[in-house]
Amino acid sequence: MKNREKLLRDKSRELLEKKEVDFIIGYVWGRDKKRVCPAFIKSVEEVENLVWNPMCVNNLTLYYTRKYSDVRAMGRPAIVVKGCDARCINVLIQEGQLKREDVILLAMPCEGVAYRQELYKGELTIENASPKCAVCDVNNPPLYDYVVGEKVDGNTLKASKSIYDEIGKLDETSQKDKWDFWAGHFKRCIRCYACRQVCPLCYCERCIADKNSPQWIDTSRSLQSNFAWNMVRAFHLVGRCTFCGECDRACPVDIPLNLLNQKLSLTVKENFEYRAGYDGEGHPPLIVFSPDDKENFIK
Amino acid sequence: MKDNLILKKEALQKLIDDLLKDGVRVVAPVRAGRLVEYAPIKNHSEMVRDYINPRNAFKEFLFPQTEPIAEYRALKKGVELDGVLPKALSTVVIGSRPCDAACTASLRSVFTWGADDDPERYSDDFFTKRDTQTTVISIACLKGDEDCFCTTVGIRPDGEDGSDILLKETVKDNFMVFPSTDKGKDFIKANKKFFVNGGEDLKEIEYPQVIKGIEVDAVKRRLKKTDIFDDPVWEALAGKCIGCGACTFSCPTCHCFDIVDELSGYEGRRQKNWDACQLEYFTLHASGHNPRNIQPKRWRNRFLCKFHIYPTKFSSTGCVGCGRCIRVCPVGLDITEVMEELSADTK
Repeated sequence: MKNREKLLRDKSRELLEKKEVDFIIGYVWGRDKKRVCPAFIKSVEEVENLVWNPMCVNNLTLYYTRKYSDVRAMGRPAIVVKGCDARCINVLIQEGQLKREDVILLAMPCEGVAYRQELYKGELTIENASPKCAVCDVNNPPLYDYVVGEKVDGNTLKASKSIYDEIGKLDETSQKDKWDFWAGHFKRCIRCYACRQVCPLCYCERCIADKNSPQWIDTSRSLQSNFAWNMVRAFHLVGRCTFCGECDRACPVDIPLNLLNQKLSLTVKENFEYRAGYDGEGHPPLIVFSPDDKENFIK
Repeated sequence: MKDNLILKKEALQKLIDDLLKDGVRVVAPVRAGRLVEYAPIKNHSEMVRDYINPRNAFKEFLFPQTEPIAEYRALKKGVELDGVLPKALSTVVIGSRPCDAACTASLRSVFTWGADDDPERYSDDFFTKRDTQTTVISIACLKGDEDCFCTTVGIRPDGEDGSDILLKETVKDNFMVFPSTDKGKDFIKANKKFFVNGGEDLKEIEYPQVIKGIEVDAVKRRLKKTDIFDDPVWEALAGKCIGCGACTFSCPTCHCFDIVDELSGYEGRRQKNWDACQLEYFTLHASGHNPRNIQPKRWRNRFLCKFHIYPTKFSSTGCVGCGRCIRVCPVGLDITEVMEELSADTK
C-alpha cells in the first residue's frame, strides 16, 4: 500500500513536471488524518499530500463531468481511479461526455475499499468493505493510462454472500412486501439529492427534479414524491450504472440504493447480455434504438 | 444538593407513557437502522440512550420539511383559496442534546423579527405556534464523537440554552433536573409526581476538545472584510463540494425554504418546503443568470450565513457545533477546517 502511494506520487510529479496534465484529481488526508477527501493537486509541491489506502472511497471521475465547469476550466486532469471508477469513464465516453484523450487515468490496482470511511480501522475485512468490493471483477482497472504499481491477484475478499443474495431474497418476497420494504426506506428520504450529486452519470444539464414547468416531481417531502424521485433516478441509470456505489454511500438517511440499482443492472444483464462500463464501445442498451430488437412492440 | 430535583430512570419511562396517554406528541431519539433519529414515539421503550447525536435535528418538529400553508380549488369561475392554520401539536422533546437545543434561539430570531413593541415586528405563525407548544427536555452529553465541536463554538455539552429542562445523568443512572425556563418549571409542576427531591453524584462529562487553531471571533473578523467575498480561499477549501443538500438538511440552524404550488386535478396546495443554498438552482434568476454560478460560491454563502450574517443580523449563533454537516458530507468537507483556515487573521 505504502509503496503504491509512493509510486502514485512519483508518477503524479512526473506528469505535472512534464506538463502532460494541468492537475491531478486525487485523494488527500483531512485534518488529523480523520478522513480521506478528494483534492485537486495543481503543483508539484502538493504532490506529497496524495494518499492511497482503503479509505479512498470516492469516485473521482465525478469531477470531470459537465456539472463541474470550474474544474474543467482548470485544464487536462490526471484522475486517480479504481477499476470501478474507470468503468464510469467508459460510459461517459460512450455517451459523448468526454473523449478518451481528455483525461489521463492513474489506475490503482485495488483490493477493496471501506463501505464507509469511519468503518475502516486499519484493516479491510469483508465486514467493513464496500458491497461492490465483494463482487469486484475489476481489481485491476480495465481502462488506464498508467497502472500504479504491481497488479493485484484479483478479488481476495472471499465473500460468502453478496449483494446479489440480498437482491435474490427481496425478489422472492410478495409485491406488497416489496412495496412496504421500499416505502419504509423512501419515507426517510430528505431530498438532499446527495445520490444525484455524487453520481458521475447524473450529469444532466437540468435534472428532472429541478424542472418546474411543469413540475415533474413535487419537491415536497412525501412518500409519493420520494418514490417518484428515487424511481426516476433508478430508471435513468438502467444499463448505465457501473455499481460504484457512491449514491448508497452518500445517502445521509441510509437508503439501500445499491439494492435498487443492482437489481436493474441484473435485469439488463439477463435481457441484453450487457454490463455497463467494461469498454467504451457501443451504447448502453436502453439509450439506443435497434431495428433488430427482439421485442415486437417497438416495430 | 438535597434541594435539587431528581427524575429516576423508571420515573422518566412513566412520565413518557403518561404524556403519551394524555395525547402529547413525544419526540425522542429512536433507532432507525444503523442510525439514531428523533421521531415521535408510541412507548417509552422506543427511546434509546446510547447515542451521541441523532442524524436529524429536532428542528423538523418546529419547522417541518414540508408543510401546507394554503389550499385552493379551481372553480368554473375563479379560484377558492383557504389559508391553512398551523397544526401545532402539544409536543415534548425528550433527549435532545444541548447543541440542538441551542439552535432554537437561532431559529426564533429568524422566524420572529423585532421586539414586542416594534410596529414592524414579524412573527411566523407556523414556527411560533409550534415553538410555544413544544417543551424541550435535553439530556447533557457524556461525551462527543470525533466530529463534535460544540466547545469550539462556545457551547457546552451540559449547556442549558434553549432547553426548558436540562437533565444530567447521575452515577445511579437517574437524572438531576435543571429547569431553565418558566415553561420548564410549569412542566415540572404539572408532572410533579414523577420528580423527587434529592441529590446524586453526576456522571463525569468528557468535554470535546476545543480545536486548536480555531478562534471564532477571528473568523468573524475576517468575514467582515469586504475582500473575503472574492478570496481564493473558497475555491481552495470548497472546490470539492458536490452541491448536495445533505449538510443543509441535517443542520439544526439552517432555515431556508421555498414556496411551491402542488396541483392535482383542480385542487392544489401551496407548500412551504425546505430549500438549500447548496443546490444549484437556489439562486437561479428568472433571467437565467445565477449569481452563485459555481459551487465554491454556494459554499461561501453557507459559511457566511453561519459566521457572519447570523451573528451580525440576529446576534445569535449560526453554528452550534453538532458536527452533522461533517458526518454526512460525501466528500469529507469539514467546516472546522475552513474555520481554522479563516482563524488565521493575517490580512
